[in-house]
Parts: sequence; C-alpha cells; structure tokens
Amino acid sequence: MDKYVKGVGMTKFGVEDRSIPDMAYEALTQALKDSDIGVDKLDAVVISTVDTKINDERQRHSSSFLSSLIRRKIPIIRVPAVCGGGGAAFWTGLRLKYNNVLVLAVDKILSGPTTSITKEIMNAADNIWEQEEGLVFPAQNALVAQQHMLKYGTTHDDLLSIAFKNHLHGSMNPKARFYGKKVSMEDIKKAPIVATPFNLYDCSISVNGAAAVIVSNDKTDVKVAGSGLATDYLAPFEREDMTTWRGVVGAGKLAFEQASVEPKDIDVAELHDAFTIVELIAYEDLGFCKKGEGKELIRNGYTNLDGKMPVNTSGGLKARGHPISPTGVAQVVEIVDQLRGRCGERQVDGAKLGLTQNVGGAGGTNTVHILRKT
Amino acid sequence: MTKIIRWVCEKCNKKWIHPVDKCISCDDEVKKEIGTKLKVVGFTKVYVPSPLHPITPYNVLILEDEHGNKMPKKTMNDYDIGDVYEDKSDSSENVVSAVKLKYDYYEAVKESLELIGDIEVNDANKILIKPNLGIPGYAYTGVCTNPKVISGLIQYLLDKGAKKENITIAEQSFFVPLEKVAKKSGIADIIKKFGVNYIDISKTEFEEKKERDVTFEVSKIVNDFDIIFNVPVIKTDMVLGMDGAFENLIRFLSKKNFDEFAADPRKAVGALALLPNVVSKFITIGDGSIGMQGNGPAQHGECGFFNLIFAARNPVAHDKVVQEVLCLRKLPYVELAGKLGVGEYDISKIHIVGNELEALRRDIKHPVGSKLIKQ
Repeated sequence: MDKYVKGVGMTKFGVEDRSIPDMAYEALTQALKDSDIGVDKLDAVVISTVDTKINDERQRHSSSFLSSLIRRKIPIIRVPAVCGGGGAAFWTGLRLKYNNVLVLAVDKILSGPTTSITKEIMNAADNIWEQEEGLVFPAQNALVAQQHMLKYGTTHDDLLSIAFKNHLHGSMNPKARFYGKKVSMEDIKKAPIVATPFNLYDCSISVNGAAAVIVSNDKTDVKVAGSGLATDYLAPFEREDMTTWRGVVGAGKLAFEQASVEPKDIDVAELHDAFTIVELIAYEDLGFCKKGEGKELIRNGYTNLDGKMPVNTSGGLKARGHPISPTGVAQVVEIVDQLRGRCGERQVDGAKLGLTQNVGGAGGTNTVHILRKT
Repeated sequence: MTKIIRWVCEKCNKKWIHPVDKCISCDDEVKKEIGTKLKVVGFTKVYVPSPLHPITPYNVLILEDEHGNKMPKKTMNDYDIGDVYEDKSDSSENVVSAVKLKYDYYEAVKESLELIGDIEVNDANKILIKPNLGIPGYAYTGVCTNPKVISGLIQYLLDKGAKKENITIAEQSFFVPLEKVAKKSGIADIIKKFGVNYIDISKTEFEEKKERDVTFEVSKIVNDFDIIFNVPVIKTDMVLGMDGAFENLIRFLSKKNFDEFAADPRKAVGALALLPNVVSKFITIGDGSIGMQGNGPAQHGECGFFNLIFAARNPVAHDKVVQEVLCLRKLPYVELAGKLGVGEYDISKIHIVGNELEALRRDIKHPVGSKLIKQ
C-alpha cells in the first residue's frame, strides 16, 4: 500500500525548559494544521520517546499520556530506539493499515548537568563491556573515526569541514538550535578536545524538542518511496569492521530497492551526524561514494548547500540539534519542507527526491527513508 | 589477567559477548573462548566526565586478542597502536586486585586471585569460605554475598584440585536463623549444588583470644582450616561506613561479644581494628558485583551495581582500596588497624593490580547518620 506524508510540524530545537506535553502539543497541532485535518481524523499514533531518569516528568506511560493530550481513545503505541527512535517510529507508522497515522517524537533530554546527560545517553551502549570501560558516545565514535583515518587517510580537517557545513546550514534554519549563529572554521578548530581526535564541534548538540509527521493512505504531493530498517550488534567492537555500519548499508539497500532509485538520484539528504564521522561513514555506507572516499565528498563540496547533493540542510544533529527520539522525525520534516519548496534561504532548488538516515546507538538501529515529490 | 571472553558456537562460529548455553541457530553447545594475548588497535583520550567516570582525562583502548576478538579497556596510562597490553600479578602482602566483572563470575574470581599471585590448593587442604549472610536478602538486592561469586570461587577451587568434602561454608546471623538467610540469598542452593559442607558459626564453640586490651570470643573453627576465604559483599553501612573485609569477620565472634561491641561505638572501632589478628591467615575476596550504596547495609540501601571483584591478602589494604574506589569517607577502624600494624593503610603504598585506582573511582551514594564516621 502506498503511503504519503500529509503534514509535518516541529518545535524549535533548543535549551528552553518546556514540558513534554507542551512540546508534543505544539508539534502535533502544527502537523494537523499542515495536513489540513482535525484531530478527529487521526486513526492511530506512533510515539517515540526515551525514558530518561534525569528529567522530572516521571511519566513513561506514553500511550495514555498522549491519549490525554489529544483527547482521543485511538490505538497509540510507543516505539523507542534511543537516537534512532524517530526513524523507527516513522518506519512503524508506514506499516500500519490505518488511514491517518500521527508519528510523534518528543524528548526532554536537557534536564540536568552535562555529566548526567552524558550518562543518560551512554545507556544506549553495552552496559558491561562499554559503559563500565568509559566508552561515552563521543569516545565510541572517536575510536571509529581513528580507525577510518588509519584505514582510509581521512583527516580531522575533513571531519571538521562537515561540522562547518552543518553549522552554516543550521544558521539558516529558524527551528535550529544555532539559527542565526555562524561559526568560522577557526572557531571550530580551536574548540576544546572531547575525546581525541574529536573536539566539541565533532559532536552533536543536545536539545529539547518535538517533531511530528502525519502519514496517510490518501495521495498527497509527497510519497514515501522507500523505507528500510536494519539492525546491527550493540557494540561496534563486536563487528568485523568498525568503519562500516552494516545496519546502515542494509537499511539503505532496502530503501533504494523499494524506491527503484540509486544514490546518485538523491537531490537532498538528512543524515545522522551525531558525530562528524557518522555523516562521513553514511556517505559511504549509503553508496554516495565508494568505501573510504567519503572525505572526497566533503572536500569537493558535493554535500554543501550549493553542491550536487546537499546534506543536512536543516543543520543536522550538529546545528539543528539532537533531542534523541525527535531527530528521525525532524529529518522527515526537513525533507518534506524541501520537497514542498518552503525552506527559505536553505532551499535546494528543484528538490524532487530526498533521503533520511537515522541511527540509534553506534549503528545499532538504522532507518533509511526516501521521499519523492509526486 | 585482563582477558577477552566470547561464547562461541563451535559448529557455526557464532559469537556472543554474554553467556549463552546453546547456539540459537544450530542448537549446538556454546564454549568459552578466552583471549589473553592483547594488543592495542585503537585508543582515544576522553576529556568529558560522567558519573561513572568522574576523573578525566582517561584513555579508552580497543584491545584485540589472538582470536581477533576485541574489547574496550579504560586506563589512565597512555598506549600507542601496536602496543602489547598485559597485567602483571604481584603476590606481595600489600596488593589488591580489582577486576571488572564481564558477566562471568568464575572468570572474574579466578582473575582476581591470579592477579595477587594465585593460591596453592591440594586435595588435602581444608578450605573455609565465609560469605556475608548477616541479614536476609535476595541475591539481586546486594544485601548478602552474591551466590554467583561463591559458586565461581568453589568451582575455581575444585578446578585447582580441592575436594568438595574439604570445602566448608560458614556464617552466622545475629538477627535471624541462618537457614533463612542462606535460603533467601541463594547460598543454600549453591551449597546443595556443589555438595560442600555448611556450618552455622553460632552453634560452634568459642574461645577467648586477647589482642592488646580487647578480649574476643572467637569461633574455634578459624583454627580448623588450611585456607580461609573471607568473602564480604561490598556495602555501605550507616554505622560502620562500609561493610568489607573487617565487618565480615565480626560474625566469627560470639553474639555476646558482638552485642558488647555494638553497644559502644568507640570500643567497636578498637575491636574491629584488631579483629583480623585473631583469625587465622585469610584471603579476602570482595564481592562488588552488585553491592550496595546509600543507607545500607539492609533494606534502606540501594543496589550499587559496581561490577567489581576485589581480592587481597591483607584486609586493611582491601578495605582501604574499596573505600577509595567508591569515594567513601575514611573508615576509622581501618585507619586504626593501619596504625596498629595490621596492614598497609597508605594508599600510595598499596599496589593495585588489574585496574588503576583513578580509572575505577566513582562517587556512589554515601550512607548518612553514622556515629562512627564524621559526616
């Protein structure tokens, strides 16, 4: 059954101390308005949110909470998959037979000091082998970056160029954490080290926020042409090659086959730049270049806003911000807005085919979606 | 020694990082694959602190073994790619091993003992194991010594040549019948599984032993064994600050003796400090697998989930290291024991093997309200 996107909505991603119901309500009412339907037309909801111990909302009964919020008693299910929750929820929503399905993701991750947030995010890694050995997520991805550098000659400057690009894009997105804030390459290079070789600008920024998409059986101007989900083992060190994320390769293959398109056909993409290396590896794992040549795409400007295939026009996780579950849904919001030509100064001219790639953990839960302007 | 453990299906070569009995694909037996020849294939220096890892910078290495298996390893020392990573054992008195539990209790207990120079065991040795069964609590609560640790220790002793007939588990509870605690904690099942002996210390004969100006009434069983393993569960304690090697020895004493010390905290400090001297030579294995934090040692405490096993020949060194690792306040009886020559209290003179102190330190919830420990 063909699935379409009716409407989208999202809050500004930022550091504001807003409640989860408040953020969820804003995002979903925007999506309803964008869809031009009332809440009574919703047939089901898929919600994604993580259980954080650090915020004081003390509410993990997401289905019932959302029923209270939208004043409906329809089927509501929760699909958590840490940072890949939004993509997994969207993937799930597409597979439901209901006519209008709201896919909503909301998280309030900023509810304590950075150390607490670091620990909270760390829960996406293996407890015994990784967390106990100090493998916070920047460290885990820094090790991946080091392996890629050793194997393929990628440089830290290549990675920082990804940060520069995404910050430039994010400065043009009113919904981004870094909207209106441009950073120079000099600023980026002199940032403090987080986990060698990474500095602060190699890492995405934690924010609060919500995003919503309404998928439908009714034909609209945006069709979901391809949808793939694939998983991989929890710990990257368990895999044969830390520099290839097989789950991303698998999810991409499914989505491209379903959409009957090739990587070269994509006009605009939102990739999961939780860390700069994750975006670069995605270039390779999704087939936008050969393995080991991801650095060339950033060096030759292929993924810049004025390049052949702009990547992360929203600013990505790096500059729009990464509120955990909402990220995957916000990627869909950006691509839908690009296909509908409403991205303002960051608009990609003539965008007809867009791709989203969302990752939970270090390549653990991976979704790839391809959206086509009909 | 630091090792990489995998559970491998010998038929289809599927590997797991946690124990499974049978292969999910071919239903074949799964065997343990252990790598000990470790080299560094990746590293990062981490500058961001987190509650589990408050001291920065620290390094995380990726180690690879002779089977091609990998694991991350936290260390404060710098390494380069291609370096060999190995622990060196040390059998001297002032050594404490600290081993991170990687699901396999047997391997962790074995590693902790190997790192302090291992133990010689023969089939004639009479071996006493003294867990903490002072208060009833299910295994998951961390109130009692984890039965998996006791199981790992017994299996290790049997592998080393000990006879089950010569292994005895002994303990007493001052508050409830011991059988109740043994059953609830799961230790009774371990005793039954291995067919080892079991003694309720409260039913043994006690003898007076004088140490300086303190008179102890000690169970005579401490004289009957060639090797004694003191296996406390690592817990916070609202009265003593921490339950470790010293506290676990209390239950070698008579109830009358215990009541006498419990009534007078100042007397208790002096008695605890000298207590190791009235028990025959013993090895401590500190069970920090689950353990307890907050207002332990009973139902008001919270699970600690320390995932650590300690081993030491000297109880002062043991408790000092554990107190430092968990960032607990100074334990006055351990400090006094150090002054009285019972063991080394100066942390800079204690050799910690298996993991570095600074790499292990974590700030846990402290007990409050102790009359012994200054807040």
